[in-house]
Amino acid sequence: MTLHVENLTKHYGDTVALSEVSFEIPDGAFAVVLGESGAGKSTMLRILNGLTEPSSGSVYLDDEEITNSRSDVAMVFQQHNLVDELTAFSNALTGSLNRTGFFRSLLQRQSTDEKELALEALDTVGLLDEAGQQVMSMSGGQQQRVGIARALVQRPGMLLADEPVASLDPASAETVMRYLLSAAEERDLTTLASLHQVNIAREYGEQFIGLKDGELVFSGSREELTTEVLEDIYGEIETDELREGTKGNSEGEVPTQEETTPPGIGV
Amino acid sequence: MSADPDTFRDRVFDRIFGSNDGETSVEQRHATLRRTRIARRLSRLVLLAVIAVLFVVALERVNFQISELIRYWPEFTSALTDYFPPASIFGLIPFVDVPRYTQFWNEAGLVGQAGVTLAMAFAGTVIGAPLALLGGILGSERVVPFPFNFIFRGAMSIIRSIPSLVWALIYVPLGGVGPLTATLAIGTDTIGTLGRLLTDELEEVEDGPIEGIESTGANKLQTIVFGMISQVIRPFIAWTMYILEINVRAAVGLGIIGGGGLGLTLRLEQNTFNFTNMMATILFIVILVVSVEMISQRTRSYLRHSDDQETMSLYELIIGFPERMSDALLRSR
Repeated sequence: MTLHVENLTKHYGDTVALSEVSFEIPDGAFAVVLGESGAGKSTMLRILNGLTEPSSGSVYLDDEEITNSRSDVAMVFQQHNLVDELTAFSNALTGSLNRTGFFRSLLQRQSTDEKELALEALDTVGLLDEAGQQVMSMSGGQQQRVGIARALVQRPGMLLADEPVASLDPASAETVMRYLLSAAEERDLTTLASLHQVNIAREYGEQFIGLKDGELVFSGSREELTTEVLEDIYGEIETDELREGTKGNSEGEVPTQEETTPPGIGV
Repeated sequence: MSADPDTFRDRVFDRIFGSNDGETSVEQRHATLRRTRIARRLSRLVLLAVIAVLFVVALERVNFQISELIRYWPEFTSALTDYFPPASIFGLIPFVDVPRYTQFWNEAGLVGQAGVTLAMAFAGTVIGAPLALLGGILGSERVVPFPFNFIFRGAMSIIRSIPSLVWALIYVPLGGVGPLTATLAIGTDTIGTLGRLLTDELEEVEDGPIEGIESTGANKLQTIVFGMISQVIRPFIAWTMYILEINVRAAVGLGIIGGGGLGLTLRLEQNTFNFTNMMATILFIVILVVSVEMISQRTRSYLRHSDDQETMSLYELIIGFPERMSDALLRSR
């Protein structure tokens, strides 16, 4: 589904978290929103999911304004936000709560289809064998994959991920990103993830949104994401670090992952 | 100059605590330190004096007289020989006459009486716990908005302020003098105490899982159950086990005022001056309460997954006791 955001604005008192942000993400694209902490990435994703009410502006999925955004737009969180006391399977199954009655969900009497959907989602993230395991005994990376499975069980129109790998070690981050990408591709889901590690963002992202102080400073493809653009998003200091790693590159060419020291990851 | 109150007060202070005029800054600092030290000592002395006065007043109010205690001491010691009838093992080692206790246990059917006591505690806990869960949740600000959640918290406070013995008195017209009334009293008391513990537990619930469930489009009730209650269900069960422990003791107390079970046996034996039988009952109560405590503690340590300390087996618990005891004693030195 195509995501279309129009004039999205959010104020907290006098503080402007988002100001007139408009962009479009084509159907099935894996998009990344870049920006420093405090740039408004989380606020925007939370508005898209419906956890936060926008001050003004609208969000469209395939030209249809979304009203019941929480069930249509699934969200993966930085801190996983799973129920630690439940198993991976039960957590994945909570993705179906929006179409299950209260008592049915309480007794875990969802239909066989729903339960199989939950297991398929766990299979997608490579955790079918761990379905019966309690979430709190899992590693951070595994927990995040359960988080992705829960999002998939929602049968969403689109997938959001708020810093999905920020609290993971590089190896787990790599694994989680691979599963996130393959899950999105398998189900042809439009995805929007906020990432502060530019190397990971460049590796996986097709479309990019750049936010700075709540304003949209960039919207475009991977090829258009030049060093100048990164400078706009992150400011001089952090981009300098990027540039130092790319001395051999010709002007304007984008640094590759191996050569850069991305902001957020110290080497 | 003496008209200036500040200066006047300073001079009085100087008289009492010594002046803090010193030549060097070190001397001045020393003087200030001395003054604060003297002030602290004085306030401690005043506090001790206040406690001493209150203590004397309290003793007066309870008619505490050493002479009385001395006068009745022989009666108490003679009662002690009734409590603990002397005998000897193999005619050699002096010891308490244990067979007399066990004889009474069998004659009076204390196992059956213990069943009544346990039944009151268990039924009361089972009646009270779900209501405590409900009250605790409704008292949480996350579920019920601010001024209204205090209706439920207030109700639980009022329930808690009335001891279970008094609840039993209140319920007598409803259940008569017997185990039913005692059970109702225990159930009511459980709502207040367990509800309170749960409210504290709910205060510390993490936002993450709640938000995670919210984000799936779950309704409010589902969000409360899956996001919130799921986080407190383990501590809730653990606290319920703890309250069950307390309720067994409460059931003994309620038995004394007519609830039945071991408490009633205790009172009947005391009223008929069968002190040996009374002590036999008390020892039986000790065994019962300690067993319930052990079961409850093991359940709780099992629930507290991360806490490995108490997950010793019963065998280790008994065999390792002398070593742990000596460790504890040595460490305290």
